[in-house]
Amino acid sequence: MYLQLSDEELVGLLKVDDHLALENLFNRYYKSLCQLSAVYTKDFEIAEEVVANMFMKLWDTRNDLNLQNVKGYLSVSIRNASINQLQRKKLVVEPIDEVAHQLSNIADELTPLNIITGRESYNRILKLIDTLPTSQREVLLMSHVDNLSKHEIAAILDISVRTVETTLYQSVKKLRLLLKDSYNSAASN
Amino acid sequence: MEEQSYRLITAYFEKTISDEGLTQLREWIEESPANLAQFSETIQILEASKAYTAQPLNQQKSWAGIQQYINQPLKAKNTRILRYKWLAAAAILLAVCTTTLAWYKHMLNAFTSIEYAEVKSVNGRHTKVYLPDSSVVYLSGGSKIKFAKGFDGKTRNVQLNGEAFFDVVHQAKPFIVNSGKISTVVLGTSFNVKAYSSQQKVTVTVNSGKVGVLATVNGKRKLVKYLTPDEQIEINTLNGLYAFGQTDAHAVSGWINNDLSFYNTALKDIAQSIEHHYGVHIDFTDPEQGHVKLTTKFDNVSLKQVMQTLSELSGLAYTQKGNQFFFTNTNQKGGSIMR
Repeated sequence: MYLQLSDEELVGLLKVDDHLALENLFNRYYKSLCQLSAVYTKDFEIAEEVVANMFMKLWDTRNDLNLQNVKGYLSVSIRNASINQLQRKKLVVEPIDEVAHQLSNIADELTPLNIITGRESYNRILKLIDTLPTSQREVLLMSHVDNLSKHEIAAILDISVRTVETTLYQSVKKLRLLLKDSYNSAASN
Repeated sequence: MEEQSYRLITAYFEKTISDEGLTQLREWIEESPANLAQFSETIQILEASKAYTAQPLNQQKSWAGIQQYINQPLKAKNTRILRYKWLAAAAILLAVCTTTLAWYKHMLNAFTSIEYAEVKSVNGRHTKVYLPDSSVVYLSGGSKIKFAKGFDGKTRNVQLNGEAFFDVVHQAKPFIVNSGKISTVVLGTSFNVKAYSSQQKVTVTVNSGKVGVLATVNGKRKLVKYLTPDEQIEINTLNGLYAFGQTDAHAVSGWINNDLSFYNTALKDIAQSIEHHYGVHIDFTDPEQGHVKLTTKFDNVSLKQVMQTLSELSGLAYTQKGNQFFFTNTNQKGGSIMR
């Protein structure tokens, strides 16, 4: 019966201390919230921790909750908590020469053999994603979070759907450029 | 165009593409090897970034932790302290969020940050616009131009909808006027472009220097023709047919001095020029009436004189209601039920 209830109805049931309601919400959103959190924490274990903590907080504040849009609320909370987590761990500030160093490492690994193997180019893309401007990286990765639509991304980031789309295309474009650069610098070395 | 191709590829990747979109995408890929490369690179990037978002491994463990937490009896003493801590944390969180949010917005602005200036000229008005490179544009009524503030790119790009006379300062950077699929490229010349999007016709007339007219066909720019002074090209943007020849360029750009010249021009086209120039509405009660071709010249004359001349030349009568004019057959009066 819980499966048929809306998110908002489930949150309503939390007020009468219904554990099953919390479990259903947890099962509904655990996966996508972890993915969302990992966009910021870059670490899936930390992401799972952040999400678990948020569900505990949700339980603690259940009597004060009056939510119109549970999914939006959870997503924004996770984003905030994840960014907060980063600040606490001081992981967020990566010195520029560190990034440059990483980039030169990427170039080092580019032997002709590596270039032709798909796995390697995957890994290179994964590394380059982390060198994208923050908002491009954020939108690109968020667009792959399960069941998160462009509209929902726009709402979480407080930008327009149009901006989400444009940023997504810009990120792909930028990645193509970065990829080309890394090929070229590999070829010239 | 470029964004459209990314849109199609993304839709293809997410399997949300329509049949129509799929056909479009196929055609686009077949157009050039570069497009094919863009397609495969984009797919690879999307796949890799999808792999970046992994699946959670410890769902059971996480839930067990939560369950333990919610089952424990509340300790009254601790709750209060906890709640204050919570509040403090919430306050910090809020502060952090607000600043990060502001920062994100700032970042977002920073890289969509080619600032554009748009200048509009309403019907009945001319506007003189000075571009960042000190070129001068005379913007006719009912026209607008848009350009990047600063002209920082490799080219000096201007978007035009309507009619404008350009007096371009010579620079090594090409100056490009984009009007739909037709682009006019120059280094430093003066020329007139008439490209009201409502007319499906682009007319380029050269006063001085050399001008290249390009058309975008299937996403690629092709040269249509080079024009030299007193040459004019008319391109029908619906069917791609064009005609070019000699003309009096000075007369074409005469509108900047309120001199309107028409040589063997359809009355409906003249009417449209009059609408833009004088800021009025002109309708034909029978569309056929607009096809008659006239040759005439108005040098700084009043609207009333213009209408009288047109009426005499075409053998049509007209009725005026406010700033609305109706051409009718001689024994009729005109009006509209819409106003």
